[in-house]
Amino acid sequence: MKVAVIGAGPAGTRAVEVLVRAGHRPVWIDEAAANGGRIHQRPVAGTTRSHRDLYGTEAAKAEAIHALGERLRAASDWRPGTLVWNIRPGVLDTLCAGRHGTIGFDRAILCTGAMDRIVPVPGWTLPGVFTLGGAQIALKAQGVAIGARVAFIGTGPLLWLVATQYVKAGAEVALVLDTTPFTTKARAAAGLLRDPATFARGLALVARLRMAGVRVIEGGVPVAIEGADAVGSVRVRDRAGREHHIACDAVGLGFGLKPESQLADLAGVPFVFDATQRNWVPQHDRAGRTAVPGICLAGDGAGIAGADAAELAGARAAWAAIEDGGGAVDRGEVARLDRALARIPPFRAALERAFPYPATLAARTPDATIVCRCEAITAEELRAAARATHVTGGAPEVNRAKAFTRVGMGRCQGRVCGPPAAEILADALGCDIAAVGRLRGQPPVKPIPILAQAVE
Amino acid sequence: MTARAVVIGGGLHGLSTALHLARAGWSVTVLERRHVGRHSSGINAGGVRRLGRDLREIALSQVAFEMWTKLRALVGDDGGFRPSGQVKVAESEADLARLERRAAEVRALGWTHEELVDRAETRRLLPAVAPHVVGALVVRDDGAADPMRTVMAFRRAALAAGAVIEEGEGVVGLERTGSGTLRVVTARGAWEAERVANCAGAWATAIARMAGETIRCGVKSSMMIVTERLPRFVEPTVGAASRALSFKQTEAGTVLIGGGHQGRADVAAETAVVDFRNLAKAARIAAELFPLMHGVRIVRSWSGIEARTPDEIPVIGESTTCPGLIHSFGYSGHGFQLAPAAGAAVAEIMMRGTTNLPVAPFAPARLIEKAAA
Repeated sequence: MKVAVIGAGPAGTRAVEVLVRAGHRPVWIDEAAANGGRIHQRPVAGTTRSHRDLYGTEAAKAEAIHALGERLRAASDWRPGTLVWNIRPGVLDTLCAGRHGTIGFDRAILCTGAMDRIVPVPGWTLPGVFTLGGAQIALKAQGVAIGARVAFIGTGPLLWLVATQYVKAGAEVALVLDTTPFTTKARAAAGLLRDPATFARGLALVARLRMAGVRVIEGGVPVAIEGADAVGSVRVRDRAGREHHIACDAVGLGFGLKPESQLADLAGVPFVFDATQRNWVPQHDRAGRTAVPGICLAGDGAGIAGADAAELAGARAAWAAIEDGGGAVDRGEVARLDRALARIPPFRAALERAFPYPATLAARTPDATIVCRCEAITAEELRAAARATHVTGGAPEVNRAKAFTRVGMGRCQGRVCGPPAAEILADALGCDIAAVGRLRGQPPVKPIPILAQAVE
Repeated sequence: MTARAVVIGGGLHGLSTALHLARAGWSVTVLERRHVGRHSSGINAGGVRRLGRDLREIALSQVAFEMWTKLRALVGDDGGFRPSGQVKVAESEADLARLERRAAEVRALGWTHEELVDRAETRRLLPAVAPHVVGALVVRDDGAADPMRTVMAFRRAALAAGAVIEEGEGVVGLERTGSGTLRVVTARGAWEAERVANCAGAWATAIARMAGETIRCGVKSSMMIVTERLPRFVEPTVGAASRALSFKQTEAGTVLIGGGHQGRADVAAETAVVDFRNLAKAARIAAELFPLMHGVRIVRSWSGIEARTPDEIPVIGESTTCPGLIHSFGYSGHGFQLAPAAGAAVAEIMMRGTTNLPVAPFAPARLIEKAAA
């Protein structure tokens, strides 16, 4: 049985660990040069920052995953620097160092991770605006800050984490604006205490920022990011309705995460709308099995659950693949993983309640603001598509809005603009967000060179 | 429910037929299984091309061309049509000889739209073309349009003319009533009509079978790739004399590459998937003809489903088994340009039993499967 594990973050690494332990030699693929994923992104060679500096409270986990990755490289068919840009029955289409290739598989475990979810704040297309994840990668991988004076705007644990990491690294943080009011988070506290250690880490982050004298606004809204040809300032409104104008030269923007689930989509896995995280997620059972034979999912790509859950899910999905292939399964280990995985959803639900995606803010994106930056489509153009009557032919769902307006047709394939575009469309139509659907995937999942020498 | 005419299929051909019927004062209902423009009508390459047409199609294509140039008057919008030219390049002396023979054939029939041009003129038309290109066959006022915009324009015009469009109505049965009318049955209702048009594209042979007629016709699923946006470097739509290619830069700057390279169609599931091995061939040809394409990135790819007849020309005309049922399908991947004229022809056949438009070569009889004796 040939197993392919796509992704070398926490989920992929643990999946490969289990497979190797069970006597398999899986093919293991990641776009990066080394394992760790985005959460435990490796620094560039020659960095002097320690694991402690780079990963903070997560240093021990990062170290463990990295060390495991080193061990597993030789025990697996490790393919770093390789993009899987399409999946067909039994075949992955890949691109590595400018060369196209294919990799056959009997079973595949997709551990494709997550990316930031944005709200198109006016001015978000200015140079100097990064996603929170991008701001963090700049710091972790390159050891650079996105600016000298940075404003962080969004919601979610990553907002506070990245802001703290910037303060620790010595950058000036001009503002942390969390769109979620403190009271909303306080209400979710009971649920968050299901994972007291994580909860305590979160409180420590906030305390640390306040101690450092960082200006913090909770329950506010971003009004605009301003500047002539690059970020110069942000305008925000606090909960009391007062407007603040804050000078800065870079903005980190992010409102929670969304699964990177294009490969699951191309594999034919059915999707379901998860109202708690307000994301479309590929359907799977707790073991990671999907309706498509041979395809298992694990980690944030299967629905946002965090790195700890990803490690468990990766191991569990590997056992599922082994079992489905007729191999022997360590029942005790599987039972332990199942118990641990069962504890995840209540905590995640509390976290989502504590940091909800500001759907209304996205839905009310000003008319003139660009939503789809690849194709330069404004919120007004989307609303016009929704407004159309039976005679003019309206867009009752996102794929027709795409056909009419070009939203989501560009380089990002709707990975960035998809969620806010759906919010705007649903709001304009006066229907539930789930009713407008999701953009259908089209290969390649990321742009690939038109001509790449085939290897074979 | 009753209407004088029912059109099965809300693609461009169905909408065009409905528009012409409604303009002539007929009550007409379009039954569309999914939504208007769901399949190849909305996602094709948008070529408005007479260049290189099968000789039997040229006459109808000429009528259609006249209609494209006045599309705004017909449907209230130009469908994004730009007469930016169609060019078929010769990559060798053998290619050039082939194009010369073709040009002579077309001229012999009295047509003058196709013009053979030399190396210098080809270079003037296509400054970015590769140096090995020696000449081309050109139709200067052919061009390209925006398929979805065209579909929606026909939809609006048909509705404004009084046509009724029912989306989500998939036809499951077709039968004659005692009074000689036809009854079209969907999962949710039934429509009684004097005349029925079968414009169901890849699913049209299934409609014909409901009328007891087996028409030899398969499917094709041509693939398209689109690149990231590039600065403007080519105006006309480009093909090649001896290789399968359709190459066009859109108004947005993206480059659309097709040419009939086939994906895999699943007619029952109403889907088609891209076959990258075939698509890579199109990409390679494109890069050989336009060297600046080296290093450009592919952003998306897709494939659609369309009916393809054995002789690659459409089926237009009355059913041989079911009077009152008029077929219009099997355009084999080049029906977009024909739609304004084909719809007019089909509407005339439905209303008067005959048409002066040049559709005689497309009569269904040539493809009827003879029942075993």
